[in-house]
This record gives sequence, C-alpha cells and structure tokens, in this order.
Amino acid sequence: MSKFVAWIDQRLPVSKFVKNHLSEYYAPKNFNFFYFFGSLALFVFILQIITGIFLTINYKPDAASAFASVEYIMRDVEWGWLIRYMHSTGASFFFIIIYLHMLRALMYGSYKKPRELLWLFGMFIFVLLMAEAFMGYLLPWGQMSYWGAQVIISLFGAIPLIGESLALWIRGDYVISDATLNRFFAFHVIALPLLLFAVIYLHIAALHTVGSNNPDGVEIKANKNPDGTPVDGIPFHPYYTVKDIFGLAVFLTIFMFVVFFMPEFGGFFLEKDNFVPADPLKTPEHIVPVWYFTPFYAILRAIPDKLGGVIAMGLAIFVLFLMPWIDRCKVKSIRYRSSTYKILLASFVISFVGLGYIGMQAPTPILTALGRTFTLIYFAFFVVLYFTSKNEKTKPVPERVTMHE
Amino acid sequence: MNKAYIFFLLGFILSSPVFGASSSVELKPVFIDLGNKASLQRGAQIFFNNCSGCHTLQYHRYSKFVNDLGVSEAMVKSNLILTSQKSGEPTKLGSTITNSINHDSIKEAFGVVPPDLTLTARSRGPEWIYTFLTSFYEDDSRPMGVNNKLYPNVNMPHVLWYKEGLKTYDENNQLILKVNGQLSQKEYEQEITDLVNFLTYVSEPAQLERYTIGFWVMIFLVFFAFITYLLKIEYWRDIK
Repeated sequence: MSKFVAWIDQRLPVSKFVKNHLSEYYAPKNFNFFYFFGSLALFVFILQIITGIFLTINYKPDAASAFASVEYIMRDVEWGWLIRYMHSTGASFFFIIIYLHMLRALMYGSYKKPRELLWLFGMFIFVLLMAEAFMGYLLPWGQMSYWGAQVIISLFGAIPLIGESLALWIRGDYVISDATLNRFFAFHVIALPLLLFAVIYLHIAALHTVGSNNPDGVEIKANKNPDGTPVDGIPFHPYYTVKDIFGLAVFLTIFMFVVFFMPEFGGFFLEKDNFVPADPLKTPEHIVPVWYFTPFYAILRAIPDKLGGVIAMGLAIFVLFLMPWIDRCKVKSIRYRSSTYKILLASFVISFVGLGYIGMQAPTPILTALGRTFTLIYFAFFVVLYFTSKNEKTKPVPERVTMHE
Repeated sequence: MNKAYIFFLLGFILSSPVFGASSSVELKPVFIDLGNKASLQRGAQIFFNNCSGCHTLQYHRYSKFVNDLGVSEAMVKSNLILTSQKSGEPTKLGSTITNSINHDSIKEAFGVVPPDLTLTARSRGPEWIYTFLTSFYEDDSRPMGVNNKLYPNVNMPHVLWYKEGLKTYDENNQLILKVNGQLSQKEYEQEITDLVNFLTYVSEPAQLERYTIGFWVMIFLVFFAFITYLLKIEYWRDIK
C-alpha cells in the first residue's frame, strides 16, 4: 500500500494535498454552532449536483412537456419523487445555510483583513446561487414558475434606454416562452454550476491560505508552538471531520424530515400555484417569489418607483460586497465589540427577516409602511456602521481563543 | 362510449367563464385517510363513473391502481378503463388516464375545457374540492340550472345531483336540501370524502410510501447522529 502511495505521490502529490488541507491544516479549536454551515453548504451543493443529474435524465426542457415530465418523475420514475423532493428541499435549505453562514461572518467579522477576498468570493457565490435558484425555479413550468420569471425579468425593463432590449435578450422572446425555458435549462444545469464550482474552489483556496477566523476573532497564527503549529489550532482531520460529520447527521435528520413529511413546507418550498401548468393567458392572483428572495423583493416593492425599486434591490445586494471596507473596526468578533454594533446587527437581522415576511404578503398600507421602515433600517445598518465603526469603543480582545463548553 | 357526448346534445351556450373567482366561503374540513384502501377504491369508482367522461387524470396511469388501490389488473380493466384506443381496442393498462372529449365541442357546450384533475388536490387542496362538491344549489338563472356557493357561476353542472339531490338557500342564507337524491346527506358526504380521498392520492401517489419510508429513515438518522456524536466526543476528549 505504501509503495502504491509512493508511486502515486511521485506523479501526483496526493499525500501532500491531504496534509496541507486536512491532516495538517490547522483550524481554531473554538468553533461554535455557526461554523457548521460552511461544510454543510458544500454538502448541499454536491447533493444538488447529484440529484440534479438524476432529474435531468428524465426532465424535458420543452414548454409543451416540461410540466408533464416533472409529474412523470414524481410518479413513474423509480424513487423519482424522493430525488425531486431532495432537490427542491435542497434549494431552500441551501439558502437557509448560506444566510446563517453569512450571519456568522457578520457576527465574528470574518470578512475583515486578511479575509476580504474570501468574503468577496463568498458574495459571488451568493449572487450566482440566486441566479441558479431563479433559473431552476422556471423549469417545473408551473404557474408560479412562469409568472415569477415574468415579473423578475420584466424588472430589467425598468433600466433606462437598454432595459427593454435587455429583457428581450434575456428571455429570447417577448414573453417567457419555450425559448426562455430552454436557455434557463442550459444555464441552470451547465453554465452556473460550472461557475459556482470555480468560485467555490476559489473561496476554499482563499480560506486555506488565510485560515479560518473564529468566534473570538483572534488570529491563531499569532501564537505558535516551537514546531510552528498554532497553539490554538487543531488539525482539521480528524477533529473537524468528525465534528462536521456529526453536524451533517443532525442536518440530515432535519432535512430528510422535511423531504419525507413536509416537502411543500406549507407552500414555502413548493408553492400551491406551481401545481398548475404555466398558462400565459391566466395571471395568478398573487405572484410571490420563493421565500429566499422575498427580503429583496420587499425592498423592491418598498420603493414607489419601478426603476428606483430595481436600483434599491441591486444596491441591497451590492452593498454587502463592501462589508470589509464599510466596517472599519479593528476588533473582529461581536464578543468584544460595542453595544452599538450589537444593536446595529440585531436590527439588521430583524429588518431582513421582517422584509422576508413582508415580501410574501399581498401589499397592504400597513405592510408597505413597515416594509419601507425595514428597508430604511437595512440600509441604515451600513451607513451607521461606516461612521461608528472607526472609533468604536471595544472591549479588550484576549491573546488566545476561549473555550465555552 | 363517451359520457361527455350526452352533454353536447344539451347544446347550451354558456356565458363567459369566471376564472378563479375568489369567494370568502369557509372551506369545510375533510378527513383524508390514504391508508383506507376501501375508501380509495370507492373514490375511484365514483370518479370513473361520474367524472372521467369530462375530466382527465392525464399524469396518472391505470396500472398504478393495481398496487396502490389493491385491486386486480382484471378489475382495473373491467371497472375503471372505460375508454378505447383509436383502433377500437380498450385502452391499455399502462396508459395515462385521458378521455376522448373534443376540446372545441366541449368548449362550445360548457364554455371551458373541463380541467385535468390530477393535481387539483395539491393546487386547491382537498378541503376545496370537498367544499366545492357540497356547495351546488339550484339557480334557474344559470344554463345548467345550478350554481355553486364556493365557485360562483362555475360552468360545471351538478353531475352528482342524482345522488345528492338539489339544495337551495333558506331564509338564513344556508344551503338546505330541496329535492332529495338517491343518498342521504350523510351518505353523500361520505361518497364525496371517498372521492376527495382518491383525488388526494392521485395528486401525489408517493404519499402512500413516503411516510413509512420516512419513519425508518428518521430512526436511522437519529441513531446515526447519536453514534457520530459519541465519535466526536471521543476524538475531542484531549482538546482543552
């Protein structure tokens, strides 16, 4: 066996790779609950690829047969229903994981020097993921698939001068049609997954270059043993592999519970209207995007002007890219930051969740007013943070990481 | 051969359809029990004898009934397959459940093409179907002589009137029976429950196995999580 490994290593540095990235890759020993979501996101990405391949085997990207082919998968393909539910539930869980993963970064300042690029790659993954989910949602060709896509793509029409031609170019037709379905299929199964794969690779490469942050925001590389390993670091394998497998097992228990017992999740994961085939002549009463888009959709609706709404929505995502430069506080972790930051982050999270709720509801005067307030808080977070973070009153940061158990 | 044919003869010219008319009628609860094979079988019987002339279940196959409803192939062929192929031979067991209505003619007769019902229990919900089928009432102003409390001015005739009888509004604005049908009110409601049960099964046949498999998967995963927890504890013993 060792001869075989040596033979391989002479030709491909497999052992070195395993050492660098697993058995001798040192991670802080004080990771908490929020540090499960990186590896879980990777797991769900792979799960989506695998279930996606199996779905592609029987799915037909054709306006005349797409809806029926999904029902064929649900009924006539062996275990087709399970694969489809894993894929549809996986999409929603991907966003739950990613949102928690991002919240973790906001809590512990994981975007700060030297992890700015890591954060930027992460943000690109988030944007790609939204495009991936949006295009995937058209494929079942139900009423909500169709009208959701119609509404979102028509937003491009609000851009001055080039808007209408841009929307036309994206759709490949004057309305959502077979041409749109076909190209969305291409993007969903090839183009975006390849891009995602590449950016996820960069994200992990950047992570392994700078090393993980941790709940204390202490750089473990600052304190080293005589042999050069970080005092507060432990090898990723076996410590975090066994810990992440446990996290995965808990995740799978929750995930598979939803898959088997509530795959529609009360209409949040699979909307009722999507069990009606797309009908270009019949607009549903109430068009809502899937839950993971509703915070941004609510921001869009909060602005009375269509173009203004589109700009605000775009800005809401873009401003997140700038986090490493907006937050100028030297202290990373929320544990040692001022109550100002704690209040700011709490109101940001509340406004994000609130916007998510408002985005699902039919507009009423009260909800619109509330939506505008939350939109204001959402943006105020970044503005106030920029001005308060420079001279923030922070608590002393410990030299070494702390363990809470 | 085709039950819809009889309705063509009526030759009614209908007013334009009201799509998705939303009303504030409260939906009635219905007890869905997919484990009750007898109920599913009765539901299938009611569907094929009364509904299948106009309504299809185009994503579902006859062959599924053999396992799912616990009936023999011969029984499906003789009792549920009521259509034939173009060649004149009976529709094959593996076929999807369609019918031979002509869309143009039926549109002329009813104003709409009767919707496919495969997924209605998922898009509208079992309660909606149950409430709909128990909310017809006599209305002479409508071409079919009936109207529906849940779905005002619906184009569908009250096909099951011979079972239910005809309802009308009393002075308290409640629907009461005016003409008796073959069944008592209670029997009719039971038949509709069976029918809705059947349609709920058709809307997602996987439900028959989903819960059972899910139960075992849950047991395995909880056990697996426990084992991995012990493993984690063991490995982390020396981390202080």
